[in-house]
Amino acid sequence: MPGKWDWLKDEIGFSNLLTGGKMLLKVISGKLSVDDLTKCALCPNMCRHTCPVSIVDGRETTSPAGKARVAFMIREGRLELNLENLEPLYMCLSCNICTLYCPFEFSVADLTRPINEEAVKKGVVFEEFKKVFENLENYGDVYGAKSEEENGKGKVLYIRGCTIRNELPELSEKALSLLKKLGFEVFTINETCCGIPAYNLGNVELFKKLADENAKKINQSKAELVITSCPSCAYAYRVLYPKYGVKLKPKVVHITEILGDRLKGLKAEGEVTYHNPCKLALGLDQKELLKDILNKIEGLTVKEPRKEFFCCGYGGSAISRLNPELAEEIAQERRKQLKDGADKVITACPSCKLALNSDELEVLDIVEFAHQLLGE
Amino acid sequence: MLDEIMKKSKPKNIENAIKKLSEKLGNKKISIKPADLFSYSHDYWLITFHWLLQGKVPAFPDVVVWPESREDVVEIVKIAHEEGVPVYPYGGGSGVLGGAIPEYGGIVVDVKRMRSVQVHEEDLVVEAETGINGHYLEEYLNKRGYTLGQIPQSLYPSTLGGWIATKAIGQFSTKYGGIEDMLLGIEAVIPPGKIVELKPHPRTATGPDLRKLFVGSEGIFGIITKAWLKIWPYPEERFLMSFASETLEDALDSVRRILRRGAKPAVVRIYDKIETKRHFYKFDEMYGKVGTVIIVEGDPKIARTEKEIVEEEFKGKPMGEEPVKHWLETRFIVKEVSEFAPLGVVIDTIEVAVNWSNAAKLYYNVVNAMKSVKGVLFASAHASHFYPQGVCFYFTFAGLPPKNVSATEFYNQVWDKAMKATLESGGTISHHHGIGRHRAKWLAEELDGAYELLKKIKHVIDEKNIINPGNMGV
Repeated sequence: MPGKWDWLKDEIGFSNLLTGGKMLLKVISGKLSVDDLTKCALCPNMCRHTCPVSIVDGRETTSPAGKARVAFMIREGRLELNLENLEPLYMCLSCNICTLYCPFEFSVADLTRPINEEAVKKGVVFEEFKKVFENLENYGDVYGAKSEEENGKGKVLYIRGCTIRNELPELSEKALSLLKKLGFEVFTINETCCGIPAYNLGNVELFKKLADENAKKINQSKAELVITSCPSCAYAYRVLYPKYGVKLKPKVVHITEILGDRLKGLKAEGEVTYHNPCKLALGLDQKELLKDILNKIEGLTVKEPRKEFFCCGYGGSAISRLNPELAEEIAQERRKQLKDGADKVITACPSCKLALNSDELEVLDIVEFAHQLLGE
Repeated sequence: MLDEIMKKSKPKNIENAIKKLSEKLGNKKISIKPADLFSYSHDYWLITFHWLLQGKVPAFPDVVVWPESREDVVEIVKIAHEEGVPVYPYGGGSGVLGGAIPEYGGIVVDVKRMRSVQVHEEDLVVEAETGINGHYLEEYLNKRGYTLGQIPQSLYPSTLGGWIATKAIGQFSTKYGGIEDMLLGIEAVIPPGKIVELKPHPRTATGPDLRKLFVGSEGIFGIITKAWLKIWPYPEERFLMSFASETLEDALDSVRRILRRGAKPAVVRIYDKIETKRHFYKFDEMYGKVGTVIIVEGDPKIARTEKEIVEEEFKGKPMGEEPVKHWLETRFIVKEVSEFAPLGVVIDTIEVAVNWSNAAKLYYNVVNAMKSVKGVLFASAHASHFYPQGVCFYFTFAGLPPKNVSATEFYNQVWDKAMKATLESGGTISHHHGIGRHRAKWLAEELDGAYELLKKIKHVIDEKNIINPGNMGV
């Protein structure tokens, strides 16, 4: 079989080799390449249709390639590193749906993150973020809630995450009960935020500090398995911590990952659709998991949503704080897409549930749904 | 810190206009922030990305506005007209000829927040605001069992308004047509701030077809705010076919005969030998030949008959479904500019149309003309859209400017050669990318006396010349 670039080698004749074709040959042999941010900045936005911000906000500046272009100009010193120019870079949900359609498999969040990190280092920080950093520094909780819970001991540790602890404590109760029904003897600890809000907002130092604290607590608990209901926590533990050299001894799973076949054969009625949490579906590469689990339930009609992947509007930590109206607009758009599937939605993330649940759409976490099916 | 290359002037009354926009629309819908002005200082005219890499932009607007309704658009056009300030409609910014560049400064109007959509199923009509994203619209229809059949390579970044304004066409055009064939009704705002609404009908004989005035208007007459388009039931059957022919002429003539018999394959693409090598290198038997991919789709009975006609008429070795699947999987991959432009390689595509009788001649003339420019590394083409009367050739060139020749000079040299060869070979200078600012001089040449008519129409609609001034050279 001919090679990918043989056609070009055929076309670049001897004379062209002397006038610059040599450089092209270096490119096609991988010896010369362009940096990733520049590549993204030069793209005509071939992932625009996947970007919830771009679809809803409509601004070129917050489109995926638009952000890359602004980041590129900041990096090159052509645009100033100030809050006004940073704002579009933070209009990102970190959902990474763009990656699915990028010929280079780039994540725009990852490409622009170095600029945000540089800004935090230089003290160019939005007031809205300073409060988050304070809460995390002082309480290890993104909401700033102080916990005096005692650390338990055992083999299976259940981590709730900040959102469930603060906003949906009943989900924690149901998860504990569900895990017990499924045969897991679980314990809890006095949790510290996994650090992902700090990471999302460009505060790497704080993220690393929280990661170290978490690792210490979790490793000291002697747990062999960590189960969490929060996809962001699972993503931080499994994907981000290793990147930053932080080691967790126990295996970490999202609760959906242990449900697997355990709901198979259970009976339900009616129609549901599903909302894939970005950090579970894309972050942990479990694109089919939620749909598969639901499809194994007897009698349940599982309808596909209009868009398989579309963030609820509250991912990435920044938009909901800097531009809550936009976050709500994105949630509203997602509700419309889900309603094209069914009026009842199953998801697997507390933030997604909070974002999407409304008068017109009943949104249940898979934990609640499974809990119902197994009999409350 | 970012220089402007194309800026002609700054509007005198811009401060008044911005003040009025702020009063009428509220500050949330407008911006004068540097990052926003930068984002709208260009579209996807490829040579301008060489400028961007050097910290230069085509031209900054003075303000960007994001209307949320046609009433907002009316206010914007009224204010612009009153103050004599230019207005530039903006969709997905994927136009490749500089049609959206605010070269006289003023107001960029991005309609992407206007994106409502509804389907009228019995009438097979979709009604949508023009800021709707192309892929979003198609996916919305697919979920309901329909298709618009408009699948350009820019489907992901572009908008409905951009399609109408540039007279866009999609990869499935041989069956479904171009946007002009789909358009049933249109709503636009023209100076001095008046709504023009042409309602959708199956056909109408109500004087000259004013809807067509806006198709390909590239934003020089007004801002298109809504459209009604034909839709089709989503195809139940789809056949994938491909062929390897010895010559380009064999493949072209095969398609000509297929279309003469009335068959309408949705997709037909004939790649010259270079592009066949480039796109289908994994298929040994196609290497060195002229490759063709064909998709026939629709009602199963009709599609089966069309498939038979294709099989009867095609002169070339059948290569099966796999090359077509490969094309389907890779058709939205656009990365050459990202990979090569920063290294100084100048790349662009040029699409032209020609009648069958001149088709092969035009292909060779244009390829040879482009290759004659010093520094061109390759020039190639595929035929991408077909009609009973002729064909669209989509040329690609890449090259490295020789010493002492700037990227822009080199780029213009190749374009000059290609446009001249097209006109001399009996072709038209654009099939679907349109004119923009780049092709304006050749438009005057092609339209000849009719170019004056275009200018007169522009003047009657927009007497102050505030709507996308300078675009198409009018």
